[in-house]
Amino acid sequence: MKIFINFGKGFMTTGKTTKMVLFLFVINLLFSLILAVPMYNSLKNSLGASEAGNRMVESFDYIWWEEFRDEAQGLETTFTPSIIGKGAILTNLESLIQMRFFSAPPILIGFGLLYIILHTFLAGGILSTFNQDEPRFAVKEFLQGAGSHFLRFLALMLFSWLFLFAIGAFLHNAILPIIDDISSDSYSEVIPFLLMLALNVIAFFLLLFVQMVFDYARIKAVLEDENNVLKATGKAFRFVFKHPFSTLGLFYLIFFLNIAVTVIYILVKETIPQSDVLTVLAAFFLQQLFIFALIWIRCLLYASQWELYRYLK
Amino acid sequence: MFKKYQAFSFFLALLLFLLPAASQETFCKQIANYTMDVKLDTEAKMIKATEILSWTNDTGYSTNELWFHLYWNAFQNNMSTFLTEAERRGRSVSGFKKDDWGYCRVESIKVVANPYFQEYDLMPFLEFRYPDVENLYDQTVFSARLPNAVRPGQTILLRIEFESKVPRPISRTGVYKDYYFIAQWFPKIGVFQDGRWNCHQYHSASEYFADYGTYNVRITLPSTFVVGTTGEHREKIDNRDGTATHHFYQHSVHDFAWTASPRFLEYTENYEFAPGKQTEITLLLQPEHERLKDRYLNAVKNAIKYSSLFYGDYPYSTATCVDPAYNSRSGGMEYPTFFTGGAYFLTWKGIPRPEGVTIHEFGHGYFYGLVGTNEFENAWMDEGFTSFLDTEVYYTAYKEPLYNRSFFGIPVTFKDVKIPIESDGISSHRQTYNMDVLQRFAWEFLEGGSYGANSYSKAELMLRTLKRFMGEDIFARMIKAYSQRNWFKHPQPRDFYTVVSEFAGRDMSWFLDQFVYGSDKLDYAIGKISSDREKKPEGWFDGEYIKREIEANRYQSEVIVRRLGEVKLPVEILVVFEDGNEVRETWDGQYRWKRFVYQQPSRVQKAVVDPEFKLVLDINRTNNSQMRKPNRLAPFKWVSNWLSWLQHALEFFTILGG
Repeated sequence: MKIFINFGKGFMTTGKTTKMVLFLFVINLLFSLILAVPMYNSLKNSLGASEAGNRMVESFDYIWWEEFRDEAQGLETTFTPSIIGKGAILTNLESLIQMRFFSAPPILIGFGLLYIILHTFLAGGILSTFNQDEPRFAVKEFLQGAGSHFLRFLALMLFSWLFLFAIGAFLHNAILPIIDDISSDSYSEVIPFLLMLALNVIAFFLLLFVQMVFDYARIKAVLEDENNVLKATGKAFRFVFKHPFSTLGLFYLIFFLNIAVTVIYILVKETIPQSDVLTVLAAFFLQQLFIFALIWIRCLLYASQWELYRYLK
Repeated sequence: MFKKYQAFSFFLALLLFLLPAASQETFCKQIANYTMDVKLDTEAKMIKATEILSWTNDTGYSTNELWFHLYWNAFQNNMSTFLTEAERRGRSVSGFKKDDWGYCRVESIKVVANPYFQEYDLMPFLEFRYPDVENLYDQTVFSARLPNAVRPGQTILLRIEFESKVPRPISRTGVYKDYYFIAQWFPKIGVFQDGRWNCHQYHSASEYFADYGTYNVRITLPSTFVVGTTGEHREKIDNRDGTATHHFYQHSVHDFAWTASPRFLEYTENYEFAPGKQTEITLLLQPEHERLKDRYLNAVKNAIKYSSLFYGDYPYSTATCVDPAYNSRSGGMEYPTFFTGGAYFLTWKGIPRPEGVTIHEFGHGYFYGLVGTNEFENAWMDEGFTSFLDTEVYYTAYKEPLYNRSFFGIPVTFKDVKIPIESDGISSHRQTYNMDVLQRFAWEFLEGGSYGANSYSKAELMLRTLKRFMGEDIFARMIKAYSQRNWFKHPQPRDFYTVVSEFAGRDMSWFLDQFVYGSDKLDYAIGKISSDREKKPEGWFDGEYIKREIEANRYQSEVIVRRLGEVKLPVEILVVFEDGNEVRETWDGQYRWKRFVYQQPSRVQKAVVDPEFKLVLDINRTNNSQMRKPNRLAPFKWVSNWLSWLQHALEFFTILGG
């Protein structure tokens, strides 16, 4: 019940701060557009005045894409058919869980890092907004809040990376060799597949768990003005272990909401043919709506966790 | 007494391989005939066998020595030519323990007395040979000096005792747990051609070459094992000691391989691939791939049906497809009437697995099996022809495959991204076209990628280009004729040239040479298109000042076609005008460029060089067309999709931040 009460409160709070979500969405869009411009130019130059352009509007010209891929450098190497629809989501999920982002083009890694740091900055603003008696979004207050919590949040982020690194190192160095041994002695590919899938699921849930704990560490830092990162983290762990059902229940409720939105997006997107200006624009707006929804859900998570923390404290 | 014994042993040996042969008409001269009695010791992972070889000198030359392959000696140490070359290509063996190495040792080799020869022990006259690479550690070829020459038309009988240690899985042979895949495992005579022995060392990037003959093989192994081999399974005798002896027989083939495992699921079906023509298909399946049974069987049926249609009716009575065991490294390989596929337990509609590899390996039954090309020397003539065969069969029997990618080991298809036949192999060709030429010994390519791209991709693309260049009907008759005329022979490139030229009605060396012996690129492009209002005549013309008005809406258009590569082929050009009018041109492609000028009532809408996509070897198809008004929606559409991925990535990866 606690879960749903605080989910409801979080929902209301996020609803009241939709402008903030819009602000975060615009930042995401503008940030992405910086890289989209060179990618647009690459595609435009490669397609040139060729008939391949027509074919790429009607569907996907695989022959053109192979030519593009064979010449691609840097950012261009990320343009593959697997970024279409569900592929985009799966590509990102796999990159995250299997740490494949390290093999991304340096410009993308650098850009991603910059965005994460920016996001760490913005998280302070989000929580400051929620910390008001009557949450409402104002850019000035938002940025002030973001600035006041930035260093603490940055330290928390680096600290969370230590946890993630430790988990990754453990799974990679202790568990993966066991799976490799079992695989090399297996009768079929089914066992290695299941073991690797289980490892990926475990890695993902551990990652989510760490994220959740550090969400509470950030909430604590803001709500109780806790400057000591270690203390905030320790207390966050204690809080989560003291209220495992509430914290995990709320987290996974919102996690599954995220999945549901993603699935709906994929299903709807696949019905749009993108074969003329109108449908291309429709797909574009749907994509933006999806990203907006994801950011809204992220804020919802913060807001609900914020409410839960206050409720349980 | 001795002479009586000699006569008896010759008679016995002759009987051993002649009797089964007599029961069935052979398809060709049986030059190298093997009767083998094989025992597999699954504890020691050893094969002990007796081989009676009857070899007939079918050439016009005499020889006083015999050359043999001992392929498995490539796996007896890491200094063999095979493993040295493999290491150079980044495929070193690592972690091999004492029992993991494999070898083939001749324990005894004797001439069996016959009307031409007396019994004679050849063991003292064996010598390891190095015809390609002087590597004293390499023992994959040996010769035996004879007391007297084998003259043209004579037959010599040998009795060979040998033992082979089954290696850990390597290069499509070996044992993994209780799955045995046994290929290139016995002392195998080379090919005597033009007065010399064609018997190459075992190389990492090469396959095989042998003469046709009859294989009459008895294999004794634990009775729980399911066995699959080249040829027909004649009988199984239970030895009542926990072992069984299986008898297999096949004539008119040039190799014999087998597999054994107690885990196989065995399915057998008679398949009528053409009216009155049928063959028995056997599928040996891994239990965890049971759900793929129908896909495998349908792939084999489609392969037989369409290969028969395109290249001649499949003549053998059996076709055995093996689904290889995981970790066995035996997938995707061909032997006469017997081949391995390869599957992943998760596969969906649109993913050409196991179909692609199954059709390819069956296809080798034609180009290598029936058309006995020398894979050491003319790899493109089997790999390229088979790659061409497999895509032609696949695209005839199935729809275009879909682009797929595996996420977390689960394949995902992208229904909007269809893979056209023209894309098969072009990417690897584009990246390696100037590294090597097609016609090169398999181990002499710059690197493994170049061997693969040339032998498989470039040759396939050349054949597809030839098909579209000659016209489908003529090509279909030509390729079938080439296939059938060379069944049970060892054709050379010139034999292919001859058939192509015959069906084209002119010498086609100019076409083929550019690809077989050349490493240039083929790239035609539209250099420029323009349309301007026709110029008004104005000025002094023959002493008269003229300023003439011209018909409104008359345009002078110009199309420049360029040859960006060195390969010269005649091409067609399609010019489309905005009013729908079309003009087709042809250009011999000899000079670097050609300008076409038109006066038309409307502007040029687009120009396309090679509009029918005949030249699939063209490494840049995008520049083959040009529109006067480029489609600006395409980059926007796709950058929008890419942007969506990037936005999601950024949002998703905030999980690592705050």
